[in-house]
Amino acid sequence: MKPALSRRHFALALPSALLVSGCAAPHRGTGRPRDPIVLTLLSHYASGELKTALQGPVDEWNALHDRVKVQTKAVEFTDLLTTFMVRQAAGQGADILHPYCLWNGQLVQAGVLRPAPPEHAEEIRRGYGTAAVGSATVDGNVYGYPTEMQTYALYYNKRLLREAGVDRPPRTWRELEDAAYRTARRDGYGNALVQGFGLSTFDDSTTVGQTLALLNAAGGRFVSADGRRTAIDSPAGRAVFDLERRLVAKGASDPGVNVYNAFASGQVAMVISAGWWTANLKALMGKGYRDVGVAPVPLPEAGGRRATLSTGFMLGVNTASECPREAWEFLRWLNTEKVRGATRMSALQVSVGSLTGRADDMRTLLGAGGDPNLHPFLDALAYAVPEPNVPGAQQAKSLLRKNIEALWTGQQSVDEALRTTRRQVDQEVSLSW
Amino acid sequence: MIRRRFPWLSYLLVVTGAVLTVVPFLDMVMTSFKGPDEAGTLPYRFLPKAFDLSNYRAAIQQLDLPVLFRNSVVATALITGSVLLTSSLAGYALAKLRFPGRDFVFRLVLSTMMFPPFLFFIPHFLILVHWPLAGGNDLLGRGGAGLTVSIVALAMPFLVSSFGIFLTRQFMISIPDEVLEAARIDGAGEFAVWWRIVVPQTRPVLVTLGLLTFVDAWNEYIWALLISTANPEVMTLPVGIQFLQDYVDPTRTLPIVMAGLVLSILPVLVLFLLLQKHYIRGVMLSGLK
Amino acid sequence: MVNATLAPEATERAARDRSAAGVRGRARHRRRQAVVAYLFLAPTLLFYAVFLLLPLGFALLLSMSRWAGFDLGDIEPVGLDNFAGLFADGSTFLAPILTNTLLFALGTVVLALAGSVLVATCIDKLRFQGLWRTLYFLPIVTTVVAVGNVWKYMYEPGGLVNGVLNTLGLGSVAFLQDPDTALPAVVVVQAWASVGSAILVLTAGLKSIPESYYEAAALDGAGAVTVFWRITLPLLRPSLLFVCITQFLTGLQSFALIIVMTRGGPGDATNVAALEMYRQAFSYGDWGAASAAAFVLFTVVLAVTLVQLWLFRRKGEDA
Repeated sequence: MKPALSRRHFALALPSALLVSGCAAPHRGTGRPRDPIVLTLLSHYASGELKTALQGPVDEWNALHDRVKVQTKAVEFTDLLTTFMVRQAAGQGADILHPYCLWNGQLVQAGVLRPAPPEHAEEIRRGYGTAAVGSATVDGNVYGYPTEMQTYALYYNKRLLREAGVDRPPRTWRELEDAAYRTARRDGYGNALVQGFGLSTFDDSTTVGQTLALLNAAGGRFVSADGRRTAIDSPAGRAVFDLERRLVAKGASDPGVNVYNAFASGQVAMVISAGWWTANLKALMGKGYRDVGVAPVPLPEAGGRRATLSTGFMLGVNTASECPREAWEFLRWLNTEKVRGATRMSALQVSVGSLTGRADDMRTLLGAGGDPNLHPFLDALAYAVPEPNVPGAQQAKSLLRKNIEALWTGQQSVDEALRTTRRQVDQEVSLSW
Repeated sequence: MIRRRFPWLSYLLVVTGAVLTVVPFLDMVMTSFKGPDEAGTLPYRFLPKAFDLSNYRAAIQQLDLPVLFRNSVVATALITGSVLLTSSLAGYALAKLRFPGRDFVFRLVLSTMMFPPFLFFIPHFLILVHWPLAGGNDLLGRGGAGLTVSIVALAMPFLVSSFGIFLTRQFMISIPDEVLEAARIDGAGEFAVWWRIVVPQTRPVLVTLGLLTFVDAWNEYIWALLISTANPEVMTLPVGIQFLQDYVDPTRTLPIVMAGLVLSILPVLVLFLLLQKHYIRGVMLSGLK
Repeated sequence: MVNATLAPEATERAARDRSAAGVRGRARHRRRQAVVAYLFLAPTLLFYAVFLLLPLGFALLLSMSRWAGFDLGDIEPVGLDNFAGLFADGSTFLAPILTNTLLFALGTVVLALAGSVLVATCIDKLRFQGLWRTLYFLPIVTTVVAVGNVWKYMYEPGGLVNGVLNTLGLGSVAFLQDPDTALPAVVVVQAWASVGSAILVLTAGLKSIPESYYEAAALDGAGAVTVFWRITLPLLRPSLLFVCITQFLTGLQSFALIIVMTRGGPGDATNVAALEMYRQAFSYGDWGAASAAAFVLFTVVLAVTLVQLWLFRRKGEDA
């Protein structure tokens, strides 16, 4: 009885395994030409509105297509890179991956991502802004369709600036510092009541994101053009570190505070952050959101060339996928086919308060009214510098963040911070090549 | 002993220490009853506003608890069963059977305890992935997912315990040879001797070993995390609860996480309280955990 | 018994026959026993081959290779480059990662030892010893996920620890967010979780100190403090040493608590060698560097283990 039972279990398990199998798991697929295909898609759209936003178009595709079905899988963003790597190593990588572009160099070098076929690469180069294409490109090859795009700009609290006698957002670093010192207020014990400029050790985007946005605005770069060395130990890098150190030393910034909460409750006058934050602020601040303004990242001198940081995600196809053609076809349908004047991906991103690198879609979707605060982020798509995506970029970013934090807390001088960053990042990046 | 007066200072110290030990557990239980706007807000309050079970219901719902529970139980049972079996078999051979190479094997068992587990972490994973003829692999272990598709992956690296072998051997040495000899003269084979005489006689040590192994296996986190990352279908309780947390807004999910934690530590806690004599003896025998 | 009734020569012959048969029988018996023994040992030896010997060789190979991809055929030998990389200028492995590892282990030992010595000596004088020991033991049977999360929450601004600080009129501390306090904060938790087993070992050590020593001290009119320093501590030395070293070894290797509480952050403030190994392998795909890091840490662990063996062997000779 027992063996029979277990054989029946086996027989039952087999077809269900086939149903849920991804093409990336060749041992479970049948491989026969007309059999159903299930493409798996792994992203960090794990919960809340992001999950529902992605599920919409996927359900639409599944309703429209009989043979090729798409199944979404998700993990938290903090686990995403490890999940890619571990599942790949375990031969269970998803067919379609949604990596943060910072990791593209690493994923390409490890042989996880498949270069886009020429016709798709062509379509991507044509349809998206340079920063978006740059993020999805490694060594001259395009590896996927850029999706969520974030650019950095200056958020400011109109009321706080006005009360301090500043009537327009700063355009130069001198104006920025001036406004920061004038708005900053402390109580008798030295606790910050209002921070002039929010430098916060809270997460990557409040440390590295802000610093790189300022660095790019000063014409500097984090990593050299060939991607093998850091370029932050430069006059531009020194200027940014000097500025941040001064803001902390003179009491305009308080790095220990969670700037996301503090700005929303009117305790921070200015902060540089990414576009996704507008949606959060709206939800958090309610009526108070009227006071929030957004302006381009200030430049060191008036009349310079605008620049800021852009970060992003993309959808690429796994080298281990057994059905790359179907996967690319789905991605084209999702990312470039237009419905009511915009692609499904653009509509999806805008619905959750983000942007894509398709300027035309963004104008269509945001043009009619919408939040004016989103426009500076949209404008920045044209001049933003993509976050470096060389192999080892994630490690380099962590090292930079650590040194910035040490600079802010006074554990390192500007000189030390620049030198240590250069030494550590050079060593790390050289290992990764 | 000097017990001239009431040792109030000692009481003070021990009770303070005990409170410090227990308070985090109480805080966990209290938080598991708090509403979403109660946890992590200022000012801190120890007691929840009301004791209702909604977080427990949410935890059970969001966690797919039956599956996590089943995975934990299967992995723990596999490990405990295998450790008990292999330890008492090998322990018996090393204690009571005479054969060439016995000293060498015993030294081998002892020396394996010097290798720390983290050293094997990466190779164990790769060995399971490239296990021949499993999970779509060919004879050379290429092409598929290997044993990582299976729940046995959770148990594989823990199936034999050198400490368990050592422990059972030390106990079995004290069984008188005459008893075994008598059984052999009665025509019992070695297997029967082991099963009918040695195993019953060493039951206490096996209970201790089983309990130690059970607790360790139930609480194992790092390996289970890795295997669950590769294949979420075999996720265990501790890993599942850790994944339940919302990274962006941890305070929102906190009470639910705490409820899940209370549920997950209950089985071990109950077992420990029931059998703590055996467990504590095991910790003594193993020196320290 | 039967032999006694037989004639002497018959007895002799029977005995000779039997012993010859006995030698043959014993030889056969011994051979059979060897076969059975190896049969009993087979699962264990097989396990050692697959999960000990093979992985050791594999880890050694990886530590001296560069392996970018996921195909075993791509392993490319690079000699000692991975080790050189760990100790190169600008590498964070030596400082802060390895120093963090040592500080974590050392801090845990100091705290757990101090706590367990205090509690163990006091418990000895109390009623309900079993109850106290059970309470102190709870953290040991609790999964690290529970321990880590509860403490993580207690360290938050709205958590219990800061709640107590605020009640005492002190300001909140961002324990796990501040690079200066993060490592000590994690050390406290690790010590909290391991103090129970240390108490157990020390209690056993205390019980083995002969009562007569205390009686003699009491006759001399020695105070409690003198007794503690002059009698209890010296005689407890073997147990203390044992707790120290085992706890130190555990501290060098553990990173589950750190993964749960801080993931090594902020920055590298709580990053330890075993966690770095995990991340290099499973997040960054640098299996070579990860394996090299594992072997460096193994060398440290081995050195401590050998010191332990040496100390205890010497102690054994003293006794």
